[in-house]
Amino acid sequence: MSVMTIYHLVAIFLLCLGIFGIAYRRTLVGIVLGIELILNGAGLSIMASAQLTPAPNELGQVGALLVMGIAAAEATLLLAILLVVSRRFKNVEAGKLITMRG
Amino acid sequence: MENLEYERLAWAVLFGHIVIIVVGGFMTVLSQSLVRALVGLIMTLFGVAGLFFLMAAPFIALMQILIYVGAVSVLIFFAIMLTSAWPGGDESGKCSGRKYIYAGVAGLVPAVILATAAIRSAPPSFLVPEETEISVLGKFFLEDFILPFELISLLLTVAMAGAVVLAFEMRRKK
Repeated sequence: MSVMTIYHLVAIFLLCLGIFGIAYRRTLVGIVLGIELILNGAGLSIMASAQLTPAPNELGQVGALLVMGIAAAEATLLLAILLVVSRRFKNVEAGKLITMRG
Repeated sequence: MENLEYERLAWAVLFGHIVIIVVGGFMTVLSQSLVRALVGLIMTLFGVAGLFFLMAAPFIALMQILIYVGAVSVLIFFAIMLTSAWPGGDESGKCSGRKYIYAGVAGLVPAVILATAAIRSAPPSFLVPEETEISVLGKFFLEDFILPFELISLLLTVAMAGAVVLAFEMRRKK
């Protein structure tokens, strides 16, 4: 097993935990935590693929930076959406948000 | 002799960080208090930053600590505080066992498929990655990758504007 496979297995483990968290958590905040885990695993996988193979190193570093930027933008928007949802429905439990009318 | 010792040290650092990531990850998804879950997430983020250092990419590792640990986790902490998802609140209480199993299957199936693919078709990899200079990285960003670079700044601006608009609308309706 090469070193890159170990890094990839860690990234896949993060993906697995993230999907588990998204399905298992009851509140929207817990789901956001799962999404962050998945995004971090993606960054790790991109980085390992570029750093440990003959592929150009800059490609992986730029990819990891873009993933981080997307994660930051996503976290900002999710905070605003969570605020609106909690003000409108008085809770943030995913099972209880069953209407989409304003 | 010295090289061998360094190699052993590198393996120890690698597996130490993997242990940190695994413990933090399980804390993130299984902890009943959301604040504890956030602490677990921060632990995982630090572990991944350590792996970036180990892959000879110190710039990205520092960015990981700055952006994820510094900004994103503070945002999530705001989300925990400002919504009613207070610790000991919504996430406490037992989950049904069936949901546990379904969630486990949903996570494990893609993981097993991807892991078999990753192990079977792994190309030969370096043991020692080489470091890229930051100036090279900046040039790559501004010459070859200029379009994604501009797009990500546009995305950040739009996200920030959208967040402000959403928050103001909430205040007006109140």
